[in-house]
Order: sequence, then structure tokens, then C-alpha cells
Amino acid sequence: MTPVTALTLTLLIPLASAAGIAFFLRRRGGLASTLSVAAAALLCICSFIAINARGDAAIVASWDWLSFGEFKVSMGFLLDDVAATMLAMVSFVGLLIHVFSLGYMKSDKAQARFFGGLSIFMFSMIGIILADNLIMIFVFWELVGFSSYMLIGHYLETEEAKAASKKAFIVNRVGDLGFLIGIVLAYWHFGTTDLTKMEQLTLGHPELVNAGIAAFLICGFIGKSAQFPLHVWLPDAMAGPTPVSALIHAATMVAAGIYFLIRISFLLPVEVLGFVAWLGTAVAVYAGFCAYAQNDIKRILAYSTLSQLGYMAAAFGLGYPGIALFHLITHAFFKALLFLGAGSVIHGCHHEQDIFKMGGLLKRMPITAITFAIGVLALCGVYGLAGFYSKDAILIAGGLEKTVIFILLTLGAFLTAGYMGRLFWVAFLGAPKSDAASHAKESPLTMVIPLLILAGLSVVGGMIQLWPEGLGALIRFDLERLHHAEGYSAMHHDVLIYGSAAWVVGLLGAFFFYGVGAKDDRLARIAPSVFAFLKARLWFDEIYGFYVSQVQDRFAAILSFLDVFLLRGLIIRGSAGLVGILGLGVRTLHVGNLHAYVYWFLGGLLLFWAFVGTVL
Amino acid sequence: MTIGLNAFLIVAGLLFAIGMLGVTLRRNTLVIFMSLELMLNAVNLALVTFSRYNGTMDGNLFVFFIITVAAAEVALGLAIIVALFKRRETIMVEQLNALNR
Repeated sequence: MTPVTALTLTLLIPLASAAGIAFFLRRRGGLASTLSVAAAALLCICSFIAINARGDAAIVASWDWLSFGEFKVSMGFLLDDVAATMLAMVSFVGLLIHVFSLGYMKSDKAQARFFGGLSIFMFSMIGIILADNLIMIFVFWELVGFSSYMLIGHYLETEEAKAASKKAFIVNRVGDLGFLIGIVLAYWHFGTTDLTKMEQLTLGHPELVNAGIAAFLICGFIGKSAQFPLHVWLPDAMAGPTPVSALIHAATMVAAGIYFLIRISFLLPVEVLGFVAWLGTAVAVYAGFCAYAQNDIKRILAYSTLSQLGYMAAAFGLGYPGIALFHLITHAFFKALLFLGAGSVIHGCHHEQDIFKMGGLLKRMPITAITFAIGVLALCGVYGLAGFYSKDAILIAGGLEKTVIFILLTLGAFLTAGYMGRLFWVAFLGAPKSDAASHAKESPLTMVIPLLILAGLSVVGGMIQLWPEGLGALIRFDLERLHHAEGYSAMHHDVLIYGSAAWVVGLLGAFFFYGVGAKDDRLARIAPSVFAFLKARLWFDEIYGFYVSQVQDRFAAILSFLDVFLLRGLIIRGSAGLVGILGLGVRTLHVGNLHAYVYWFLGGLLLFWAFVGTVL
Repeated sequence: MTIGLNAFLIVAGLLFAIGMLGVTLRRNTLVIFMSLELMLNAVNLALVTFSRYNGTMDGNLFVFFIITVAAAEVALGLAIIVALFKRRETIMVEQLNALNR
């Protein structure tokens, strides 16, 4: 099998699975889930074959897809080092989450729809990873948006899920509009949207890099990676099934925004990079604060995801795309683990999601609890675990480039440890605080095994020297660059101290402040105003709601009035009415009497005569 | 004694008026048709008169053409009326109002 065939198979297997489920297996949930998981396994194998065959050179293949005169759209693969790293992560984590879903969705009524959605998501995500030009990226970008919409709205009988899926879709459209304009501008500017060609052009002529185009292109990233000010959809997206939150809204799709930035990093000038760095830092801190006022286990993790995406954006903006990719990969491991752990807990507690109604799960669900603890520690950046390496690298980069960003990100790390500590101490320790929690029992094997594998990856995933040779060259390169930067060893020392202090203080602070297995939120009790402020999340949803209802809806009402009154009423109905009245009048002339026609004839003659004689 | 131009024109005008009234007032299709012919011939008379008065042949030429065309028209028109009568058994205008129904 040639590498290109393997890549084509990687892309088309999930599509075939989705099509098969959509056309033939809609009522056969069991068969559909088997097909989808088998497809995930096959595509995983195919992707590893392709990655293995890659060697050092990128695999490039391209076909013409559409052509309009001079303008040609091609579909193609560009499997370079970054894409290979991302592909390996997505296909492997995707497979684990597919397996987990087997257990989690077992008693769901619409299993076939769910697994079909997962397959179409895998197809779209792999399309983004492999795409070699902006237009193809955009096509698959919209496809992941669609599959995200479909899967968030999986529990379509609940109002919450319906609203959340619409919100995610619409908010993403706002970002994608900018993205689309950016693509058009890029084509106009460079004459091509092919990534390799654009890179060569910008290498030869650095002055071609344009801040305007870059600003439009990163709108796509802001929407998909849920960065400020389009972050509002991600916490709501937790209304979807938990495996979806793990796969789409933690490990892969939201990270696609970061991946896209890395893909087009040669198009971004310094100013835009600086903006991305500040944006990421702001989101990292903001989301960290928001997480304290959430009681839903999944929403806490959602804000944590926002915050970690902020870290990646910050690393990228500071000029270290490799480190952003590194954090993306390690984050995918431990955040998928945390979400699947949360899924396992929710499954065990009969869909109870409030952490203050759990408690005592360590005894009842030991494997879930221990793997979850590993995830928490990895997320906090405890020494030796996956998150430590990537987060420390980001902090060091921050410390070397901009001290303020470093301070804010360290604060973010402290916040992370705090809210994760709150979640863990309250939900897993102490005594059960509801019937559901006291009757919880360990999840089945299909759910536990992915947890164990991901826990293993969360432990060793950060040791880049253990990674396969063909993967992570950019990460190694950027880490080397960081290691040889001026002031590295002193900064490394500082970061080790501050970073470790952040997680120790955060975890212990949460332990003493909230207490083991607390029944209610102590912050809400002793400082309700602070809690309410955090819960309001800076009133973003309210501001958007106000904007939509006061500004946009009124504008829409005006347009609707113009449409109904002017267009439909006056122009369309009006002209039809005029012709109708004319017809009524003319019809009265039609009497069926020969003599009358003679008079009309004479009248017509007189009219012509008057006209010719210029009387009229 | 020669008869003047005006006398001819008055006769032509009277003929035309009679034809016109016949077309507008009579109810028998055959009579209406004859009235039409009367109007044509009134015009013919006027044309011949002018031709004579001016001493040219233009008007006469016209009259030849009109008579030829009128002959053809009469043949056609009568045929239609006969066919109409065969089908409807009437040629009275007020009964030929199928288009109004």
C-alpha cells in the first residue's frame, strides 16, 4: 500500500462508515456502533501505515476538484511533520473514545445516529488535518462544525441541547465568515491557496505577509478554538453526550484552531502573533476564574479546556508553534482522560452531573477515580507527568519573551490547580451526598480500558524522547530552540519553583478551603457576591443576548417590513394587481355582440386618428 | 351641362354613410356584408371622381385594385356566411354571440 493510498483510506473509511450507518443501519444501533468502532480502528491502522511510510519528507498529493475558468480548486494531502503528529493523536484518541462510547451509549435510544455522527466527525477532522490548501481546510472546517452541531444536539428532546447546538453552530459561523473573507483575500493576494506554494512565496518575499489577511484568517481560529469573544459556545456545548465532549470539545476539534494556526504560521506577521499571545493569556486567566462558579462536572472541565486552549494560543503567539503543538497533544491525552472519567462518573451516578451531589466515588469507582486523579495531576503540571513538560515550556517561553504574560499564565496555572482540586476533593472523596452517588459502581470494561490507556499516555506522553522518531520534529526543534535561548537555565529554575508552587498551593488551597466531600460551595456561602460575579462570567451571554434582541432583531424587523411591504406588497402584489384590474376593465369590452365590436373598431380608429393628428 | 365635383362627392359621402349605418344598425349578417360593399364602392366613386377631376390615372388604378380585392373578399365572405348558416341555421347577429358565453 502506497502512503497516498493509506491516507486516502484514512480519510474515506470513516466517511464510508457514516454513509453505511446513515443509509442502512439507522435502526440497528448495535451494528452501527460496531461498524463505527471498526472504522475508527481501521483508520487508525491506515494512518499509522501512512505516518510510518512518510520518512522525513512530507507526503504530498493533489487532485483538481473544481475549475471555473482560471480558478481551480484542488483537493490534496500535505502530510508533513505537524500533520503526522496531529493525525497520530486524533486517530488514536479517536479510537479510544469510540471504544468508550460503546459502553457509555449502550442504553441510548439513538445509538446509530450517535455513532454515525462520530464517524462523520472523524472524516471531517482528518480532512482538516490532511488538507493542503485553505479552501479544502474550509470545507472540512464547516463539516466538523456540522458534526459538532449534530452531536451536541444528540439529546434533542431537551431544550438545553437544542439551544446549545444552535448556539455552537451560529457562533462558529461568525468566526467562519471572517475566515472565508481571509481565504478570498489570500487567494487574491497570493494567487493560490495552496499551503506549500504560499509558504514558498512568503519565504522568497517576506513583505507579502499581510496583517489584514492574517487578522481575517485567525477569525476562524477564534471561533473554532472558542477564544475570546466567541468563547460562549463551548461551555454550553457540554449538553452533548460526554464522549462527544471528550472527542470534539476537548481533544480534537477545538484544538483544530490551534493546529490551523500552526499550519498557516508563515502567513502571520509579528503584530498578529502578539495579539494571539495576549488573547490566549486573557482567555487562560478568564476561563480559570469562571470555572470556580460552576458545579456541573463537565462545565468545569469545559472552562478548563478554554483555559488550556488559551495556553496553546499564548505559546503560539510567543513564537513557539512547536510548544503549542506539544501542549495540544498532551492536553488531548489528559483532557480526553478527564472527560472520559467524568463520563464514567456520570454513567455510574445515573446522569448526575453536579459535583456537590457526588462524593465518595473513590471507594465505589476506584479505577475511574485513580485515572481521573492522574488526569488532574497531569493537567496541573505535576512534575514528571505529561502536562508538566508542555506547560513548563509555555511558562518558560512566556518568561523569556514577556514577563506579564508569564505572571498571568502562572496565575492561570494556580487557578487550574484550584478548580481541579475543588472538583476532585468534592466529587471523589468524603461521603456520598445523593442516592445516585451511593449506588455508583465501576463502569464496564469498554469504558475502563480507554481510561487506563489514556492515563498511561498522560503519564508518559510528555516525554518527547519516548515518542516515535517520525513524530514531533517541530516540537523537538522548538524545545531545542527554547533550551538554547538566552537565560534559559535561570528561567527554567524559576518556572520549576513557581509552577510547582502554583499547583501545590492550588490543590492544597482547594483542599482546605472547600474541604473533603463538601456539601455546598464554601465560596458561595461566605462570599456570595464574589461567587455571583464569577458565575456571571463577565455577562457575555447577557451582552450578546441584549445585542441580538435589541439591535439585531430590530434591524431584522426593519428588513422584514421592507420585504413584506415594499417588495411583496407594493412591487410584486402591486404589479400583479394592476394587471388584474386592467384585465377586469378590458374584459367588460368583450360583449360578444358584433355591433359593439364595430363601435370599438371605430373608437380605435378615432384614437389612432387623434394620435396621428397630434390631438392627443 | 357637366355635373360638378361636389355632386359626385356628396353622392359618394351619402353612399358611405348609408353603408356605415347599415353596418352598425342592421342585424342580418348578409345585409351588413352588403353595406360593407357599399362603403367600398362609395370610396371607389370618390377615387374615380378625383382621378377625373385631376386628369390623372392614379385614382382609377386604385379602383381596379380595390374592385379585384373586393371580389375576392366577397367570395370569401359569402362562403363564410353560408357555412355559418349551415351550422347555426341563423345569420342574425344577436344570435351569433358564442364568444360571450
